[in-house]
Parts: sequence; C-alpha cells; structure tokens
Amino acid sequence: MSQELIVDAKVISLAYRRTRHRVSSLKQTAIDTINRRMAYEEFFALKGVSFNIARGETVSIIGRNGAGKSTLLKVIARVLPPTTGRVIVRGHVAPMIELGAGFNPELTGAENIVLYGTLLGRTPKVMRSRIEAIADWAGLTEHLDIPIRAYSSGMTARLAFSTATDITPDLLLIDEILSVGDADFREKSAARTTEMMNGGCAVLLVSHDLDAVQRMSTRAIYLSDGTQKFTGDPKSVIEAYLSDVHH
Amino acid sequence: MSTMKVYDSDARQIPVISQIKAIYENRGLLRLLVIRDLTVRYKRSVIGVWWSLLNPLFTTAVLYYVFNTVFKSKLPGGAPFLPYLLSGVLLITLFNQGLTMGADAIATGAGVLSKVYVRPEIFAASAAISSAVNFIIGLVPLTIVLAIYHKTPTWHFPIVLLVIFCMTLFTTGLSLLLAIAYINFDDSRSLINIFLMALQYMTPIFYPITLLGPHTRDVIQLNPLYSFLQIFRHEFGNVGVSTLQNWEIMGGSSVVAFIGGFYIFSKRWPKVVAKL
Repeated sequence: MSQELIVDAKVISLAYRRTRHRVSSLKQTAIDTINRRMAYEEFFALKGVSFNIARGETVSIIGRNGAGKSTLLKVIARVLPPTTGRVIVRGHVAPMIELGAGFNPELTGAENIVLYGTLLGRTPKVMRSRIEAIADWAGLTEHLDIPIRAYSSGMTARLAFSTATDITPDLLLIDEILSVGDADFREKSAARTTEMMNGGCAVLLVSHDLDAVQRMSTRAIYLSDGTQKFTGDPKSVIEAYLSDVHH
Repeated sequence: MSTMKVYDSDARQIPVISQIKAIYENRGLLRLLVIRDLTVRYKRSVIGVWWSLLNPLFTTAVLYYVFNTVFKSKLPGGAPFLPYLLSGVLLITLFNQGLTMGADAIATGAGVLSKVYVRPEIFAASAAISSAVNFIIGLVPLTIVLAIYHKTPTWHFPIVLLVIFCMTLFTTGLSLLLAIAYINFDDSRSLINIFLMALQYMTPIFYPITLLGPHTRDVIQLNPLYSFLQIFRHEFGNVGVSTLQNWEIMGGSSVVAFIGGFYIFSKRWPKVVAKL
C-alpha cells in the first residue's frame, strides 16, 4: 500500500483584485470612485502550485517575503479557497498560531484552555478532560483558577503552547517554529515540537530558518512570486534559493 | 479511518446553507463563546448583573428627567412615559450591542481567523445571542417599572421571544457586513457610528411618533427598528399598538438582513483574508 496522503494540492492558484494604491480609507475610496481614479489590478498570490504531503513527511516552504508562503498556508488551512486548482486535506488540521491569540484575559487559565482548544478544532468535552494534563505540562497547575490577566507573558505563552500541542493532529501547520518561555521551557517545547513532527503527522513548515528547514524537512519547496521554482530534497532547494538571493 | 474529516476545495458549498450548517456543527464553540461573554460581564464584576443594566437604566433616567414633562401627556392612548422610554432604550441596546460586539469580535480576531479554520459567523451569532440574554435580564426592571404604574406584563408577553429571535437574525447578518467594513476601511468606525446615531434618533425611543409630521412619520415607519419597537412595546407591556405592517417589516427585514449578510459575507470574506 502506498503511503497515506494527508495533503494533495493540484495546480492551485490564488488571485484577487486589489487596488493599485492600497487605499484603506472609505473617504479615499469614495473620492477615487467618483473621480474614476480607482485602479484595480488582478494579483496572483499563487500560480499553479502542486505538491503533496504523506503522513510522516515534513514539507518546508521557503522564499522571500511576499512570495506567497503565508497565502499557501491559508489555502491548506482551508481558510482561503483556491481560485483554481484543487486541495484535498484529510484529517484534523492544527495550526501553530501566535500563541495566546485566542485567549481572553478575564477568563481563568482553565476556562481559556477549553476555549482556545475548541477554537483550534477540538471539542469542549475533550478539552475539559485535558485541563489538568495541559496545566501540568505548562507547570501552571496552581494558577488554573485565576484570570490570566494576572499571568506573566511567559506563563501565558507556556499555557498556550501546552494547549496547542496537547494532541498530535493529522496535519500540523507551522509558520516559523516558536520558541517560548525561559531556557528550560524552550528546550522542553522544542523537544515537544520535534516529537509531534515525528509522531506520525504530516507537517507543512514555513520558515526563514534555513538550518531548521534542512534539519527537519523531508522535502522543500522554493516559492518565488507565487510560482513554485524548485521542489526536491531540502539541501538542493536551499542552494537554489540562496544562489537566487545572492544575485 | 472512515470517520476522518476530509476537506475538498472542489466540494460544492451552497452559501447561507453551508454557513448555517457550520454554525450548527460548531454549536459547542458557540455555547462557549456565549458563556464567555456572559461570564466576563457578570461573574467578574462586583455589582454583577446590574453592571450590564447600568447603561440602559442610566440612559433611561437621564432621558426621563429631561423629557418627562415634554412628552408626558402626548403618548398614544395615554401610556405612561417611563415604561415607554425604558422599553425603547432596552431594544436599541439589544440592537447596538449585538451589532457592534459581533463586528468587533470578527475584526479584532481577523488575524487568528485567517490562520485557523473557524467560521467567523459563529462570533457574530454568539454576540447576538449574548445580547439577547442581556435583553431578557433587562425585562426584570421593565416589569418593575410597569408595576409602578399598576400594570403587569400582558398574558401574551412570550411573543417577545419572536421579537428577540428576529433581532438575533437581523443583527447577526448586519454585523457580518459591518465586520468587513471595519477590516477593509480604517475610517469606517466613525462613519458607522454617525449612521447608528442617526438610526437611533429615527427610532421613537423617547418621543411619540404621533408628534411628527406625516412625511417624517412615513419615513420613520420604514425604519425596521421602529417595527421591532412597536411590537415589543405592545406585546410586553401593552404600551401602544402594533400593526400587521410592523410584523411584515420586522419579519422581512430580519430575513433579508440575515440571508443577505451571510451571502455577501461568504463572497467577501475570502478576499478579506487574502489581503491580511
């Protein structure tokens, strides 16, 4: 049996109409529309990108800022439907987002664990049964019942990381590898990230850290202006990218 | 393995229906969000429930103090001014709160919502629902005020639930459109506040509509909030009368706002996310 494909992206393109001058005020939009100075352009953030990720694989996306890396993550996370092409993703998808973005400072640690986990696609019931374990791993068992506005930023980040990584999804989306907390916790969280990546899920990693890309990924894709310039083993893709950057 | 969720971008998504389905499938999250809103508001503040009523009660007190002598004897059917006023303030609070809370939640959460697949419609619905809960709590002081004038809620007061249901549809749909405006245009907030203020003055909260000229009255009767308010006043405390036209406008506008809001949102949201 062939390996189970978690992500199968076929010739995906993403286009949207944007204003040439990036107008962001209603007043300016109205004035420009009346004067017929509203210039739109069709912008292709992705042009015909194809790849797949099997269970156990880590595929990395590298490229300059604005190359379409974040857009690609949005398409795979199903937040953004592709304009053309087709994406199939099997199983539970979990993104590693800016930690604590879904937290509410007025709620207690325990309440936030349940809310954040549910936002990440788990059920409230499962989350309630995991409160103790998540708090324990973050070393915050004694602070579970106080509102997290009383937490330090390190404590908040630890709780968020522990909640986000509590289960291993089928597909893990990583936009830059996170390192949070003090040296001890950084080591612990790095170990957990590696453990998750090796734990039988598929990983899509977007990173500017080329060392990490070479170390962790099984394949790499070099995106440039929305097109897939090189795809293959990380080492040669990184070389191709670097030689482009240096020219 | 057969229970594994599969996302296929080619799968046909019927707007509105697929969105309602998504809200239903995520009702666990919806419940949590409503509970979160209510806990943050009630449990954590010293004066608890009264905190959320402070604003409408204080507004009512001020408006009563200023306008009591002006409009006292001018209300249709000689209705007492205080219940008339309080029901108006409560209803406009229900509308404003549901609308702006929902739009704010989506606009401030846009960063996260562009990375995690959570339907933003759930945030709009949760804001509308928690505002509805606040409104129901507000019916307690309204009942007390009615009692001051030796009145009680009508025997048909549960019909108010229909008003609440329509308002939930109305604000959920509108707040989705508002959220898109908030994200796309930096200056939309102030403009929208002007519009909301105009809408409030175009609703007979503290003045009797009978005092207005025929043309003004015709215009104001087209304001959906007028119909919501007339029906609420009539059904809850028998203050004033409501007509069939009020029911048509309330039902029609809530369905149009809901379906229109959801439909436009389903088309615009991907474009918003692409630019974030």
